[in-house]
Amino acid sequence: MARTTRGNPLLTAAAALALLAAGGAGWGGWSWYAAAHDESAAYATARDEVLAAGEQAVQNMNTLDHRDLRRGLDTWRSSATGELLAQLDDGRPQFERQIRQARTVTSAKVLSGAVTELDTRAGRASVMVALRITVTPPEGRPAAKESRMLGELTRTPGGWKLSALGQAPVGDTAAAAD
Amino acid sequence: MKGADRVRIPLPAPRHPATGDDAAPASAAVPDAPPASDAPSGRRRTSRPRTAVALVLVLALLGCGAGLLVRAQQLTGAPALHNRALTDTEATSRVVDEVGGALARVFSYGPGDTATTRQAARRLLAGRAARQYEALFGQVGQRAAQQRLTLTTHVVRAGVTRLDDRGAQLLVFLDQVAQRAGKPATTVAAQLSVTAELHEGRWRIVDIRSR
Repeated sequence: MARTTRGNPLLTAAAALALLAAGGAGWGGWSWYAAAHDESAAYATARDEVLAAGEQAVQNMNTLDHRDLRRGLDTWRSSATGELLAQLDDGRPQFERQIRQARTVTSAKVLSGAVTELDTRAGRASVMVALRITVTPPEGRPAAKESRMLGELTRTPGGWKLSALGQAPVGDTAAAAD
Repeated sequence: MKGADRVRIPLPAPRHPATGDDAAPASAAVPDAPPASDAPSGRRRTSRPRTAVALVLVLALLGCGAGLLVRAQQLTGAPALHNRALTDTEATSRVVDEVGGALARVFSYGPGDTATTRQAARRLLAGRAARQYEALFGQVGQRAAQQRLTLTTHVVRAGVTRLDDRGAQLLVFLDQVAQRAGKPATTVAAQLSVTAELHEGRWRIVDIRSR
């Protein structure tokens, strides 16, 4: 009895440690909760995901090797959704014939990209991508050209995918401004 | 010598009485005292699992706390959060407007107004961008006068890739319409990566790289 009331230093230390541990766990839990439920953090993360997905998808859609058409076009399909996917499927037979005749190898390198719009609730986003496309014909030297594209992405269960893609028009703004 | 003897003799004496506080050494020193040794060892038998459980709990709490803190740190310290592009809507549209406006201004000139364009450039450009522009504009100014060239630059689309309190990185798609006297206008597309810095409350372009 005398021993417990007088206090065992070991027991006191253990109790203090336990209290500290509980406090630490509480603090950790609260910080984590605050961080995990920070909306702007989730938005920033989504923005970076959209940019990465958008750049990769735009690069995929500008890469095609006539010797391995099926895999190339399957990669196109896996990068697209919605209207763009429907367009790809509609035009596929004709497109395959064209590429088989042309026997070209096309590769692309993304130079820079930016997200211009992001609606995380609707699951829609817009990206702009500057890229260099290199087309190698069956004979002759590869030709590289700079390209600029505007894409729209839609969130799918399989991640963000392109639902629309096109060249950023040249000369339209001049006409609009005049 | 006498003192040493006197010390040695009484030494074992205080150990023996059971009145001493030191119960454990007493029981160890006196093996033939079953009631004295039984009680403490019985208590120890029940408290040992309890201590172990308490220790595991404390360690689990410490582990949980540390793990959650690390995760929270990862979430809040993620590089994505230091970039306020789009997350800060107001700042994003402001830098797009000011940088886009600056590009359109410094890359638009006619044969008669190269001087004012150059003046605007001194205000809107700094650092490497200003040096490049000065070097380039020496030739451009002459040519504009000789060929009666008018260049008009429009921003097609601009996006912010990185934005913080002091600096920003943008991707800008431009159309440049060149009009020479008596000839049809030609439009050229340009894609630029632009670095801007906030200087006295206004965004100034410090680097331009063609993409």
